[in-house]
Amino acid sequence: MKKLSKKTLNKSFLSWFYGNLTCFSQEHMQTFGYLCAMLPVVEELYDKKEDQKKAMQTYTAFFNTEPQIGSLVVGMTAGMEEAKANGQPIDGDAINGIRAGLMGPLAGIGDSLIVGTLIPILLGIGLGLSADGSPLGAIFYIVVWNLLMWFGMRFAFDKGYSLGGKAVEILVGEQAQAVRDSILMIGTVVIGAVAASWINITTALPLPGGGALQATLDGIFPKMLSAGAVIFCWWLMAKKNISPTAVMGLLVVIAFVGVLIGFFDPGLSY
Amino acid sequence: MEISMFQAILLGLCACLSSMPGLGGTTFGNYTLGRPLVAGLIVGIILGDIRSGIIIGAAIQVIYIALVTPGGTVSADVRAVSYIGIPLAICAVNSLGLDPATSQAQSMAAALGAAVGTLGTVLFYGTATMNLIWQHIGWKAVEEGNFHRLYMVDMGLPWISHLVCSFLPTVVITMAGAGMVDLMKAYMPMDGIAMKTLFTVGSLLPAVGVAILLKQVVKKSLDFLTFLFGFTLAACLGLNLIASAIIGSFFAVINYKVMMCMNKKPAAAAVDDDDEEDI
Repeated sequence: MKKLSKKTLNKSFLSWFYGNLTCFSQEHMQTFGYLCAMLPVVEELYDKKEDQKKAMQTYTAFFNTEPQIGSLVVGMTAGMEEAKANGQPIDGDAINGIRAGLMGPLAGIGDSLIVGTLIPILLGIGLGLSADGSPLGAIFYIVVWNLLMWFGMRFAFDKGYSLGGKAVEILVGEQAQAVRDSILMIGTVVIGAVAASWINITTALPLPGGGALQATLDGIFPKMLSAGAVIFCWWLMAKKNISPTAVMGLLVVIAFVGVLIGFFDPGLSY
Repeated sequence: MEISMFQAILLGLCACLSSMPGLGGTTFGNYTLGRPLVAGLIVGIILGDIRSGIIIGAAIQVIYIALVTPGGTVSADVRAVSYIGIPLAICAVNSLGLDPATSQAQSMAAALGAAVGTLGTVLFYGTATMNLIWQHIGWKAVEEGNFHRLYMVDMGLPWISHLVCSFLPTVVITMAGAGMVDLMKAYMPMDGIAMKTLFTVGSLLPAVGVAILLKQVVKKSLDFLTFLFGFTLAACLGLNLIASAIIGSFFAVINYKVMMCMNKKPAAAAVDDDDEEDI
């Protein structure tokens, strides 16, 4: 009965924690980070070079998810690889199927909950603490964020490892669907609040006959230009399948035209 | 205000560590060192003016707090914003003799940060493209069974990409610091079209980041209502993010219970059918 040592698991986790995106390219985003994280696991489980090669081949498939919550998947595959080495009926294809199936849902949770919710909240607190130029807010963010992620990622990795393939049932069952849906709901609400709090698109256009367009718009729905911009970008990307880069290009054009006709005027001066 | 060679090298190193596929790792590099609030502290320490660093970093952080980079799409480059934009902004504020706490200094810092961040996306695509070379070496190593070379490919060789796309641009631009600021002032006056456009782009870009997030969480059009619910909480009721998160959690619990009831229902119906058959 083969069992991964604590040392190997530590090495695997550290490789992922540090190296998940270091060799990023648009073609293979986190693939190499994943290969590095699985290497110690594979080397300990298989003695023969041929078996190692075969096992590593599994992890050459494209991988990309929210890397922090993704440590759960790395832990799971370490557990499954161990089960496979012990002769259980799991093969590389099964592992890859699970990896591919979890990438999307986990990215959704991680991006909305960690990047879209946790980071803006922590930064918001930090900005408040640093308003007068004190380093306290920055230090608060550095300490709290890194502690949360270090222990959170380690917890996810260990949980994934101890559950192995069983984690899939927990992650995709009916109850999991309900949990995921509800978690995404919190994320979506906070993302809405983030958009309203921190996106600040205003117009400088005066109305003919006095008054400002901005005041009129605020009377209809506060910050409606910010909400409109988000929904417009979403519509272009989700419904028209325009790439984010192209959307940004379009925004540059919109900004330029807007400045020319006086719709946008940030009111800057040296 | 001049930035010395030594200071510029330190800034260049921070740029290597902090960028989106950065060498500080995702958690400590991109999401810690790459945040303008944190970078403000670090640049402040390097330049010996912590107060200016923090105030200017915070002013730039405000534009980019909703900046997210899911799916490897970058709408503004954090290394450029943080380690080119902030030092330049400090230089500019100093050379004009402004107090960084004034709103004039902060809006100028924000404009400079947004301009540099937008132009800096070139650095992101440069790094990612150059990493393709190392990945190619990596595939060969996998084929040959030279697995230990993978560490080199994932954690060593990308330093070369960063030397070219992070370190050098940062050192050159920040060393030219004061000169750069004068140049920008001369050719891109704040009330000119170019600077106004760049600033406006900077204020529009977070909308792309939020929209990319939305694309992931909005599965049906009804989900939009959830987003607008949160938006309304903050925009109309003025609630902050923690308050919004609590209200969101409350509705999420209700949602969970409703969904679990719906899950149970078909099973219950099936049991009823059985009973009738028995009778």
